Amino acid sequence: MTNMNEAAPSFAATAQTGKPDNSQFPTKMTVRDLNFHYGDFHALKNIAMDIPEKKVTAIIGPSGCGKSTLLRIFNRIYAIYPKLVATGEIVLDGENILDAKYSLNRLRSKVGMVFQKPVPFPMTIFENVAYGIRHHEKLSRADMESRVEQALRSAALWDEVKDKLKQSALGLSGGQQQRLCIARGIALKPEVLLLDEPTSALDPIATSRIEQLVEELKNDYTIVIVTHNMQQAARCSDLTAFMYMGELVEFDRTEKIFTKPNKKQTEDYITGRFG
Amino acid sequence: MNTPREHIIKSYDDELTRLTGEIVRMGELAVTQLESAIDVVERRDERAAQRVVDNDEAIDALEQEISHDVVRLLALRAPIAGDLRNVFAALRIAADIERIGDYAANVAKRSIPLSMVAPISAAAKLGYLAELAASEVRTVLTAYRDRDAEAAYQVWKDDADLDEAYTGLFRELLTYMMEDPRNITPCTHLLFMAKNIERIGDHATNIAENVWFVVHGEPLVAPRAKRDLTASPDFDRK
Repeated sequence: MTNMNEAAPSFAATAQTGKPDNSQFPTKMTVRDLNFHYGDFHALKNIAMDIPEKKVTAIIGPSGCGKSTLLRIFNRIYAIYPKLVATGEIVLDGENILDAKYSLNRLRSKVGMVFQKPVPFPMTIFENVAYGIRHHEKLSRADMESRVEQALRSAALWDEVKDKLKQSALGLSGGQQQRLCIARGIALKPEVLLLDEPTSALDPIATSRIEQLVEELKNDYTIVIVTHNMQQAARCSDLTAFMYMGELVEFDRTEKIFTKPNKKQTEDYITGRFG
Repeated sequence: MNTPREHIIKSYDDELTRLTGEIVRMGELAVTQLESAIDVVERRDERAAQRVVDNDEAIDALEQEISHDVVRLLALRAPIAGDLRNVFAALRIAADIERIGDYAANVAKRSIPLSMVAPISAAAKLGYLAELAASEVRTVLTAYRDRDAEAAYQVWKDDADLDEAYTGLFRELLTYMMEDPRNITPCTHLLFMAKNIERIGDHATNIAENVWFVVHGEPLVAPRAKRDLTASPDFDRK
């Protein structure tokens, strides 16, 4: 008899160390002792996790668990509200992005974000992508055109829009608009791409396209996706983090989370037993 | 016994409970078939033997029903984690029980030619083998129903006793055949019947492994004592 009563050896420490068992992936972003308050509400409690490079990390959990808050801290969106402060560390390529000295401009060019509802700017398809690039770089017309095309190709949208680049982006379908937002994000050549429920407003076909796109994008980008759709996390991510009431309950390989999670809380949530 | 919380969607729980119920029912039917098969061997009752053979259809039908329910659950509920292991194991366990039913029917089938020749005392030994096998299947079914991995593991280990009893009977039947060539026909039938019963034990251990997997999410990998030595090259020399 070899394995009777033996719990998996190192999983107990997973949520504390943030290192999923068997993870051989190099780390892109290291989160340590992260705490966040909305006034008196302690929204994130001592989060520690290592986001692996060029992998898809999904964050799941019930509404209000802090998953979107965590994602938003990764590019300091909260900074528009002066009273909100995140404490702890998020180290990206050796630098703490929470440090006030780390400029927001620089952070946003390294960490792009796509939101739940596609919000194209009320301008042409071309300008939607070019707008952000102009904010950060001065490019010749030819370079700009090539950069926009590259971004639209990467977002798997080029073939559908190449003949109507001068038309308003508002005329695109929801799924196309969301891919345009992704193109806008990757046009700045970020290293990390944050997706906050990117398909919750899309139909199943448009959702599949985005999921396929995520699979392609992970060759070049580190992706963190917040999703309410459990099957989406299972389909697209390499690692899954389960959060509950501001805490990181479990963080492990997606295959492990969806076949044999270590914590009962995780199992209850993903199998629909919560509440 | 590990009782999980209920699903928010109650009908999902109902479907999983139904699946477990079907498996247990199918298993009980298979054990009854084995006991009936041994009974007809002892009574040398050809007509009853044929009824046992025919009853195997009911087990096959239940397996079909379980397969259907599993496919439906996979398609409509997309089970994950413990639920997925439950559904996956149900399919595998149903296949094992179906084989157990086949073996029981085979024992009954061979009892028909066996009853046409003179009775042989070694036939009585088959009952002991069948008792061990039936007890294994019953215990492992209870372990499955209760999701009791320890009880399943015990069955898994205890199968060595059945293997040992089979090896003993094999040896005895060889001796009978060597003593008197007229014993060859009944003893050959008995050998096959004993082997069928020994195989039932192996399927009970498969079920035990699946119960272990449902509970722990990992395979049962300890080396299992095998005491069926009849296939060993130096069996004759022992």
